[in-house]
Formats: sequence, C-alpha cells, structure tokens
Amino acid sequence: MKRAVLNESVVSKRMLNLGLQRVLVSCRGLRRSVGVRRILDVARLELERGRTYLLCGPNGAGKTSLLRVLAGLDAARCDTLQFDGADIDLRNYPRQMRTQLGFVHHHPVMFSTSVFGNITFGLRAAGLSREEVRRRAAAAIAWAGIQSLANRPPQALSAGEKQRVALARVHALDPILYLLDEPTANLDGSGRIMVTRLIEAIADEGRTLLIACHDRELLGLDGVVRLHMCEGRMDAAP
Amino acid sequence: MELVHTSHEALRLLVNGDAALWQIVWVSLKISLSALLLISPLAIAAGYLLATRRFPGRRIIVVGVQALFAFPTVVVGLLLYMLLSRQGLFGSLQLLFSQTAMMIGQMIIAAPILIAFTLSAVQGADSRIRETAIVLGAGRLCTAMTVLREVRFGVMAALFNGFGRVISEVGCALMVGGNIAGMTRNMPTAIALETTKGEFAQGVALGIVLMVLALGVNFAMSWAQGAGEQHR
Repeated sequence: MKRAVLNESVVSKRMLNLGLQRVLVSCRGLRRSVGVRRILDVARLELERGRTYLLCGPNGAGKTSLLRVLAGLDAARCDTLQFDGADIDLRNYPRQMRTQLGFVHHHPVMFSTSVFGNITFGLRAAGLSREEVRRRAAAAIAWAGIQSLANRPPQALSAGEKQRVALARVHALDPILYLLDEPTANLDGSGRIMVTRLIEAIADEGRTLLIACHDRELLGLDGVVRLHMCEGRMDAAP
Repeated sequence: MELVHTSHEALRLLVNGDAALWQIVWVSLKISLSALLLISPLAIAAGYLLATRRFPGRRIIVVGVQALFAFPTVVVGLLLYMLLSRQGLFGSLQLLFSQTAMMIGQMIIAAPILIAFTLSAVQGADSRIRETAIVLGAGRLCTAMTVLREVRFGVMAALFNGFGRVISEVGCALMVGGNIAGMTRNMPTAIALETTKGEFAQGVALGIVLMVLALGVNFAMSWAQGAGEQHR
C-alpha cells in the first residue's frame, strides 16, 4: 500500500520554506453537552500540518461530534482553540476558517443540480470569477476521475460515486484541513478502493486529514496517526 | 328548469366575453396576485427563519402562526376596517374601500399560510442540505436560497395554498373593499351581491371561474407535491 502521508521531513522542509507553523489545530478543554449528557470532553488535541489522523472508537464515542464541532456545525465550549496560529472562538465561528477546512458527511448529500453544479457550489459561494470556477471545477472533476458523471443528476449516483463527488466538491476549494466522517463506510469493494485512493492523493498533497473511521483499509495505511475516542474522551492525545 | 336556464345564461356571459364579468375576474386576479407577490418574500423568509433559528419565544410564534390559520377572514376585515376608517390609526391614509386595502387584507390572510407551509417544508428537509451549504462556505443568504431551492415544491405548495385562500375569501374583501363596481368588486363579493339581488347568472358564471381557478390550484398543488416526492 502506498504511503498515505508525505514523509515528515519533506513536510517540515515545506513548512520551513513557507514560514508555516507545524501545528495546524491546537485545542484544549473541548466540551459539548446535549441536555445533561456530556458527549464530548477532549482535554487536548493537536493536529500537525500534513499528517493524516484516523479517529477510531466505538459507535457513540464522539468521533462525528468532534468533526462537527471543528467544522462549526455544532456548538461547543473550548478553553483554547487555535487554527493555523489564530485564536478561534467557537461561539462566533469565523467564516474564513470555514473556507480553510473541508467537511464531508458520512452520507454526503447532493444538491439537486448536476454533479458539475454541486462541484461549483462552493466556488460560486466564494465569489470567484466564472472562468476560475470552470477551471477549478474541471480540475477537481479530473482529480476525482468523475468526468463521466459531470452532467448526471446527483439522484442517479451510487453511494461510492456520491462520496467521490463530495470529495471533489471539497477538493475544489483547496482546504488545508479535511474532516471526513466515515468516508468509506457502506461502500462496496471498488467504491472503497477509489475513495481510499482519493484520500491518499489528498495526503500526498500535504494536506491534513482527520478521518473518523472503522475501515481496516484506512486503518492499515502507513504513516497515519491513530487516535482513539471513547465516551467523548480522547484516550491518547498525539 | 330555473337552474338549467341560469347555467345557460352564465355560460353565455362567459363565452361572449361579458365586459363587466371579466373586469371582476381581472380585479380579483390583480388584487390577489399582487398581495401574494408582495407578502411572499417576507413570509417565506419568516418561515425559513422560524425553521432554522432557535430563540426565546420561537415556540409561541409558531403556535401563533398556526392559530392564525383558522382566524376568520371577516375578523381580519373588521380589524383592518377599524384601523383604516376615518377615526382609525391609519385613517389619514384614506385607504378604506380601495384595492390597496383589499391587498393589505389579503396579505394578512395569506401570511400565516405561507409562513407555516414554508416552516414545515424547511423543517422536513434533510438537515445535511443546510449544513453542506454552510461548510462549503455559503453565507446566510446563499444558504437560505439553497435550502429553499431544495424544498421548492413545498414552497410552491405554500404559494398555491395561499392563492387559493385569498382568491376565494369574501369577508375581508367586502368589509375593506366595499364592493364598488369596477374598482373593488372581486369574484366572491360579486357572487354574494348578485345572489342577494336574485341575479344568479353572473353569480354562477363567476362561480364557474372561481371553481376552475380552485381546481387549477389544486392540480398545481398535487403536481408540486408529487414532484417533491419524486425528487426525494
């Protein structure tokens, strides 16, 4: 199996050249409660730039909740949260952070336009010019190998095709952190292989990934950091 | 025999393009469509916000909107009459017995229907639609437009329902419109007037037009709901 992440020294050199910080996400005391039940209680979490993290744990461990909180979809309290060196207040989630991370649902939903329309959605929302939207959408479609799907209605896609379109839709925005919720769950063999290849390609681009998963194929990738969650807590912080 | 004669006369009025009759139809359509056009953006936005935002008092507003569904149109007319009459709060605007007053009344009647239907359509939508728009960087307006586009069949059902309600309401139109020929006489008020005069032919002719419109709206609503189901 091809290595899923760039060699650490290569990443460090790139960061040095670009003047980037090694730690992309640094978080202390992240808590989320639903009613009286605390579903997330993460004392410390640090994600280094260019690494792939696999978030493992039983159902209900808080993996999806953690991804949703980081994506700004659910409210939470956090003592300190830094993203790319900047302090983030989760109560007032900044829009510029949203554009720098790409979240993909467990079962991604497609807007009822064409596949092309789905991929251009975020680009159009970012206010890019029509030419730039076309160029980046075409690049994302080629990257995901979904040229044959571009004009198909999303309702006609299989689960694996939807997952690839969802990854292409996020990849078009070129985020620095990918938050993927069980991207290979419920996919058949070929679908799982294709999605795994796309995840490897993202890692090879030097992007940071935080993936909630149970999939042995992803767990078996070289160079990934495995995090384990249980009852909302992180068992071993990196 | 009387019924056959009246129906024959009504059809003759319709087919021959009786000017007075078609003017009443025109006034009705103009007032109802204008009212709907003016209130729709506000009511749909309110329905969307009630479905997606959580704030103190939200539940009370939702219950209030649902209660207004059953609010008698004649009571809306009465309240509006008191506000627009010479001694009323807005008497100086001199809007009583005008098409504008009828439009305001119909906007008040249509608003709860539009809000409640939109609220229900947005609440029934897959929450991932809104979340996906948000995580792809859409702003609030773009997210709202995306969700509303995805539930467009529900929103269309709201519009058809609202139109069906205002085109056929008589209480408010009669009180604030005054049933003035050529100006504020619409189909329901004309039917009421012609019937009291014993002139059934025009009433039946207008009734046919109203029924055709009501059937058309129902067909459109069924189509919208069917298309919505298929879309899922």
